[in-house]
Amino acid sequence: MIKPESYYLDLFQVTPRGLEELAASGIREGGSYCDLFFENTTYHELLLRDGIVSSGGFHIDYGVGIRVLKGDRTGYAYSESTDARSMRDAVKAASLIALRAITAQPVYPPAPPRGTEGRSPQTPCVATLRTQAGAVLPQAEPLATGRTQPQRSENGCGRGQRSVRQLKDYYPFERDWRKAETSGFEPYMERLQQKISASDQRVLKVIVSLSDQVSDIMMYNSLGELTFDTRPMGTIAVSVVFSSDGRIENKTVSRSFRTGAEMLTDALLDEIASEVVKGIDERFAARRPKGGKMPVVMGAGASGILLHEAMGHAFEADFNRKGQSIFSGRIGEKVCRHEISIVDDGTIPGNRGAVNYDDEGVPGQNTFMVRNGVLESYLHDRISANHFGVSPTGNGRRESFRYAPIPRMRATYMLGGKSTKDDIIASVKKGIYVDQFSNGQVQIGEGDFTFFVKSGFLIEDGRLTMPVKDINIIGNGPQALADIVAVGNDPKVDDGAWTCGKGQSCPVSCGIPTVLVNNLTVGGE
Amino acid sequence: MEEITGMLSQEEIRTAEICIEKALKLGASKARVTLSKSLMELFGTLDGQLDKVSHCLDRSMSVCLFVDGKYGTFSTNRLVESELEDFLKKSIATVRMLAEDPCRDLPDPARTAKDALTGKELSLYDPSYPSMTSSKRLDMAMEASVFERHKAEGLISEEGEYSDSIFDTMTLDSNGLRCRHTETSFEYGVEITVKDAEGNRYSGYWWDSTPRISDLKISTCCETAFQRAMAQIGPKRIPSGKYNMVVDSENSSRLVTPLTSALGAFALQQKNSFLLDTLGRKVFPEWMTLVDKPLTKGQTGSRLFDSEGVAAKETPVIEKGVVKEYFVNTYMSKKMGIAPTIEDVMRPVLEPCVAPGLSKPDRMDKEGIMALVGDGILVTGFNGGNSNSATGDFSFGVEGFLFRDGRIVHPVREILITGNLLTLWNNLLAAGNDARTCKSKIIPTLAFKDVDFSA
Repeated sequence: MIKPESYYLDLFQVTPRGLEELAASGIREGGSYCDLFFENTTYHELLLRDGIVSSGGFHIDYGVGIRVLKGDRTGYAYSESTDARSMRDAVKAASLIALRAITAQPVYPPAPPRGTEGRSPQTPCVATLRTQAGAVLPQAEPLATGRTQPQRSENGCGRGQRSVRQLKDYYPFERDWRKAETSGFEPYMERLQQKISASDQRVLKVIVSLSDQVSDIMMYNSLGELTFDTRPMGTIAVSVVFSSDGRIENKTVSRSFRTGAEMLTDALLDEIASEVVKGIDERFAARRPKGGKMPVVMGAGASGILLHEAMGHAFEADFNRKGQSIFSGRIGEKVCRHEISIVDDGTIPGNRGAVNYDDEGVPGQNTFMVRNGVLESYLHDRISANHFGVSPTGNGRRESFRYAPIPRMRATYMLGGKSTKDDIIASVKKGIYVDQFSNGQVQIGEGDFTFFVKSGFLIEDGRLTMPVKDINIIGNGPQALADIVAVGNDPKVDDGAWTCGKGQSCPVSCGIPTVLVNNLTVGGE
Repeated sequence: MEEITGMLSQEEIRTAEICIEKALKLGASKARVTLSKSLMELFGTLDGQLDKVSHCLDRSMSVCLFVDGKYGTFSTNRLVESELEDFLKKSIATVRMLAEDPCRDLPDPARTAKDALTGKELSLYDPSYPSMTSSKRLDMAMEASVFERHKAEGLISEEGEYSDSIFDTMTLDSNGLRCRHTETSFEYGVEITVKDAEGNRYSGYWWDSTPRISDLKISTCCETAFQRAMAQIGPKRIPSGKYNMVVDSENSSRLVTPLTSALGAFALQQKNSFLLDTLGRKVFPEWMTLVDKPLTKGQTGSRLFDSEGVAAKETPVIEKGVVKEYFVNTYMSKKMGIAPTIEDVMRPVLEPCVAPGLSKPDRMDKEGIMALVGDGILVTGFNGGNSNSATGDFSFGVEGFLFRDGRIVHPVREILITGNLLTLWNNLLAAGNDARTCKSKIIPTLAFKDVDFSA
C-alpha cells in the first residue's frame, strides 16, 4: 500500500528540504551517491500452545539507515532517531568511506521507471503461474509495458531535483494489521488447532503461531528520488507432533502473504489444517533410501528451493561483481535446455517476495535470469548495476534500516513446460520424487548446493513406491541446471514462509513446475 | 566518569526502572525489563582495498508483563520517556486479550544472580576499547591481506572484515532483580576464492574473535583462508559407503547443537525431542562428558545469568554418557512439574576422550586424531542439511578430505552424511583437546566410526 507523501514525512518528522540537505551533505563529504532509508515497523505475534493463546506481544522498530557510496564502495550508518543531529552524525559516519576510498566512479544514474528498464529485446514468454492457493495468475512479462508510470512531481528526476514516484501497488490491503482487533485472531487460531486435532487421532501436540508486520518505508537519494511504501506481511504457521505406536513424527506448514488481516479466511484455515495432516501415514512408513547419484523428480511448488539455492544466489550480482560466483562472466551463455526460463519476480500481487520498490527505491519488476536456456541477467542492486553498466533490476533489498541493501531474490520460479507430472514420473526407471523441504544452502564459488527433503517417494519402474523422509540432496548448480531434462506444465509458486539468509534475513518465495533432474546425490544408508 | 558510547547511561537505566514502576501502576502485577545497547564499527576490504565501513549503534528495551494471570512480551527502540506510557498502556491492553496461564511467573529471587552488578565481573570487557580509532581499525582491516602476494597463484577474490563492538545489557524485574553484562569483542574474518587452471572456483575462510584486542590473531587469517581454499583444488569422487569420520574443531559444534536443543524443555514439553525421558539415563557412550562452563573468566560465551536473570553455574550436561541436565526455565518448570534449571546451555565444553580399545595419541588435535583413526574422511565444512528433532535422524552435506594412515590423500566434495544422532554419538571414537576458544561452544576435533557417506 502506498499512502500520501505527507503521511511518511510526518511519521519520520522530516521535510523535503531536510532530506535534500542530508543527501547533499553525503555528497559534499566526497561520496558519489547518498541515500536515506526510513523505516517504522510494528510486529505483532501470538502463540497458541496446549490449546490456548497464552503468549503474545508486539515490537516497534524505528530508524533511518544512511548510505554513502564512492564508486563500488559502501559507507553505512544508521540512527534510531530521526532528529536532525542524529542523522547528520550518521551521514558523517557513513561518509568515512569517501574519505578513505582510493578510486571512484562519480555518477550514479537514476533508477528507470518501470517499463523502461534496459533489456535486450527478446521473444516474450507466455505462461501461467499457479499459486498454492489455486489462483491462476497471468504470467507477468518482465518489465512489461502497461504499468503505471511514475508521477513526477517536479521536472524529471535529475540530480538534485526531487521527484516523487508512485507506481502500481502489488499489495493493497483492506484490514491494516495495526488497527485490527487482536482479540479476533485468537478464536481463529483456536479453530485451526481444533480442526487439526479432530482430523487425526495421532495428533499429540499443536503449536499455532500468527505474526504480522507492517513497515512504513520512505527512501530518498542524492538523485532527488523520493519513494515511499507501506509493506504488510501476515504469516501463520502450525507445527504438529504426531504419535503412533510409541513413535513420534512432526510436521510444519506455513503460509505467508503481503496482505492485511483479510488473509485469515476459512478457506486458508481449511487449507492449512488439511495439508498438515496429509501424508502422515507415509511419514510413519517412510524409510531412508539407499544413497547415491540418481534421477530426482522435483514436485511442483516448494521444489523451487532448487532454483533459489542452485542458481538464484549465484546470479546475485554482488558475487559476480567480485568474481566469486560460478556463473561469473557467463551472461549470454546457453546454460540449459531451450524450454527452460527462470525469473525472479517482485510483481506477484500479495506474494511474500513482492516489492512495490526495492530498498533502494527501484521499482519492483520481473527479471529473466535465464530465458530459453540462455543466461540473460544477474540480479542487481544499484552498485552492481553501475559496475556492469546496466539498469538495476529492483533486487536491492535489506532486512531493516540496520543493514545496507545488497542483491537479494524476490519470488524465484521457473516457467511451465509441456510435460505432465505423470509422464515425468513414468519416465524414471529408478529414482526419487521429492515435494516437501525445510531448508537449503549453497557455496557460491563452487556452486555446490543442498536442500533438505522432509518427504518424498522412491520411484521404481515409473511408479511412486516407498515413502522417504529426512534426507539431504546435494548437487552442483550449473550441472544441475544442465541436467534438467523435463519440465512440467504445472508451474506453482509456494506460499510458505520462506526466509533467505545472506548475512541478513529477507522474505522470499520460490516455485517451479514438476521437473526431472537427471543426476543429483541423495543422502541415504 | 566519562561516558563510553555503546554503554548504557545512568539515564537509560533510570528509564528502565521507570518502565517497571509505570507498568505496575498501570495494572501489571509483575514485570521484567531488559535494556540493551551496542555499538559495532566495521571496516571491510575487497582485494586488499577498503570496500565498506559500517557504524551500528543499537538500543532497545524489551518488557515482559504479567497482568491478571496473563503474559506478553513487548519491545521498542523508542526510548523516549514521553512515549513510554503509551507503549505500556497498549502492551497491557494486549496482554489482557490473551488467555490466562498460571504457569507464567518471574523466577524465584533465590535463584537469580546476585553477583552481576557492574557487568564486568567476567572480565569480558577490554578497558582499551575506548582508545580504538578509525585509523587503528583501518590498519587492522588492511594488515592481513595476501591478495597481492597470491594473485598470480589463482587468487581471484579476498573479502575481509575487521570489526569491534561493545555490548551492554541489563535485566531488572519487579522482584528486585538487577543484573548487568558488558562485553567487548574484536573480530577479523576473511573469505578467499581461488580459481584452478580449468576455471573452477574454490573458497576458504578463516576468522578469529576475542573479547580483548591483544588476543586477536589477524596476521595469519588470510594466509590460512588461502591455504584452505587451495587445498580443495582437484576434488575426487569416492564410492558411497561407511567410513570413519573426523570433524575438525571449526565445524564439530554442528553435531552438538542438536543434542542441547533436544535437552531443552520447549522441545521436551512438546514431545518433539529424541532425548525425551532420558534424564538420568545412560544413552551416550560412557567415555563422553559434556559440561556447561559459563563462569570461565575472559572466555567468549561466558555469562553470569540467563535471560530471566537466573544465576548460571557450572553443570554437567552429559556425564560419562548419562544425561544429567534438562534446560528448564521458570515457565516450563511449572508446566512440566519439574525443577527449573537454566533456560539454555551457555558455554558447553566437550571433554577430551578416547574410546576403549584405542590408545590415547600423543597429540589430541586434528592430526593426532586422524592418526589414531587411520583411514576415513576428514570433514572441514558442512553444506546444509538438517536433523529431525523428534527422531534424531540427520542428513548433512559435507566437504573435506579422504585420509589414509592418518594422512590427507585428496579433497572430496558434493557428499552427504546420513544417520541418527544417537547412533552417531554412540560411535564416538575420540574427542580432542583443540577446541577453538573464539567460539562459545568449546567442541574439539571429533572422530566417529561407521558413518554413512553418499557420494
